[in-house]
Amino acid sequence: MENPVVSCRGVSRVYDDDAVPVHALRGVDFQLEQGEWVSLAGPSGSGKSTLLHVIGGLDQPTAGKVTVDDTEVTALSEAQLSDLRLHKIGFVFQAYNLIPVLSALENVEFIMQLQGVAGAERRQRALEALDSLGLADLADRRPGEMSGGQQQRAAIARAIVTNPVLLLADEPSANLDTATTVELLDLLRKLNNERGVTILTATHDPVVMSYTTRQVNLRDGNVVEDST
Amino acid sequence: MPLKLLFQLSWRNLWRHRRRNTILLIAIAIAVAGVVLLNSLLRGMQVDMENSVIENLTGHVKVLQPGYLDDPSVANGFEVTEGWDLDLPPEAVAGWTSRVRVPAVIMSERETRGVQLVGIDPAREHISFLDDIVIEGEGLSGPDDRRVMVGAGLAEQLETKVGRRLVLVMQGADGRNREAGYRIAGIYRAEIAGLEKAFVFTGEATLQDLLDTLVVTEVSVRLTDSSHEASILGRMVDAFIGLDVRSWRELEPQAAMLVEFMDNAVFIYFLVIMSALVFGLVNTLVTAVMERVRELGMLRALGMRPRSVVAQVVVESSLIMLVGVAGGLLIAAGVYSLIADGIDLTAFDDSLASFGVRPIFVPVIQIGDVILVAVLSLILGLLASFYPARRAVKLKPLDALRR
Repeated sequence: MENPVVSCRGVSRVYDDDAVPVHALRGVDFQLEQGEWVSLAGPSGSGKSTLLHVIGGLDQPTAGKVTVDDTEVTALSEAQLSDLRLHKIGFVFQAYNLIPVLSALENVEFIMQLQGVAGAERRQRALEALDSLGLADLADRRPGEMSGGQQQRAAIARAIVTNPVLLLADEPSANLDTATTVELLDLLRKLNNERGVTILTATHDPVVMSYTTRQVNLRDGNVVEDST
Repeated sequence: MPLKLLFQLSWRNLWRHRRRNTILLIAIAIAVAGVVLLNSLLRGMQVDMENSVIENLTGHVKVLQPGYLDDPSVANGFEVTEGWDLDLPPEAVAGWTSRVRVPAVIMSERETRGVQLVGIDPAREHISFLDDIVIEGEGLSGPDDRRVMVGAGLAEQLETKVGRRLVLVMQGADGRNREAGYRIAGIYRAEIAGLEKAFVFTGEATLQDLLDTLVVTEVSVRLTDSSHEASILGRMVDAFIGLDVRSWRELEPQAAMLVEFMDNAVFIYFLVIMSALVFGLVNTLVTAVMERVRELGMLRALGMRPRSVVAQVVVESSLIMLVGVAGGLLIAAGVYSLIADGIDLTAFDDSLASFGVRPIFVPVIQIGDVILVAVLSLILGLLASFYPARRAVKLKPLDALRR
């Protein structure tokens, strides 16, 4: 494959908690192409979240090499990792993780403010993102005033508004009911199909897996199945 | 990170824990107000002490004959000839006067006491405590007045009253005793009761006649402001070659030391009170930061740099300090407006008099002290916030998110 968005070569991650080494990843090789929507699946402790975090620069592998959009993540400093996450990666967390003191609109604008996008453009893009996710009427609401599904949609708006090369979603449906999950997945599919957003999702929810274009199964830190 | 965003986040975060931050704000405000008001009391005491010494016939600068301080007799006097004037800038000098001061024994029909007999020109004594005395009877009419004015405390000891005669015995310039009878023109009450027993006043020329001399023992200069002290002292030292020119600080070293100590005390009290407050501030900030570790980790996961997270915590605590300090200054201004005219301490009059403190105590707020307290408080707040801020970024974003 030529110029993948994500490339992992021999990635291992060993935790030394309580002096007992825990092998979360054991030499994983993995690539993600532009426009793919891949689900990392597997039981708890299989290493799917660890792989997602390593790719997102939130965790450092013990061995191996990770590149995102031709940038070697494993060679970056803390500040450079911050810049990578800011400019190239969008995050959607299981717990939404919106900033509680900001409104939905301000939350969506937040990343662009960090990037230094000018006020008028920022506001317009944030409103468009919220509108595309059906949240135009809730722009002024703070996270505490929104339902779980609405918060997760606002989190997705925040993640995609900067047009990242990669959208990482860690158990995005874990706190949502089935109807809201389907609604959310339809939105992600639309983003993937229409805007070509590359998505990597860590999940053990079969509904989520049924939406993705490729499933990578992990077990005990190894990739055991990679199917489309 | 844009400053606007930094302040927006910090300001809104402050409102998340209203009760806790309100209590912290009140603590800061009370501490700041306490320090400012305590400083005003110290400064009031300092100004009062300085004024007491200066008005106690000392002045800011005094000219003496060398040797007078060791042997305070008229033999150690100097002449102030006709037309003798101090060539000093008028805006710096409130007034000056010459005096003849000798130790004397004063006798009534019933009692005898040792006093300082001072020959004065009453018209020029607006520079000393004589400007504020209350007189029963009459004051002295001029340097030729042949009567005496005694303090109420002394009159009580001598069991005498206005119009009665007293006998004073002192040493003349020739070393022989002089003795003369004086009628009491008036009995004065001074703000500091101790002065009433120490000084007996008569006309300057009258005393010179009695002592058979033309000399004075001192020339006292009162300045408009202490800030002129060094320059005027220097000019007078140059002008009065052969005479002993001294500042009140040299003449009253103990009082000068106390006045100087007050400058240091302002800092000491500030540091003691604010240090205690800073521990509370750090504790509250650490709690506030640790409660939000997950949120701060999320901000870093989204791409906020560690230094921006530090900046946010620092700005938050600085805002608390800023509002707290402003509130403290307002409280201090309110309380000061109630006590600016003076605190009545007449109930403690006797014990205060022994410290040379007036019964009506006037606090003094100096703008320099207020700025010092405000600026040092903000600096302390800033320093105090770095510890919790460092703790906030010490955790890796992922570890913070897992909490």
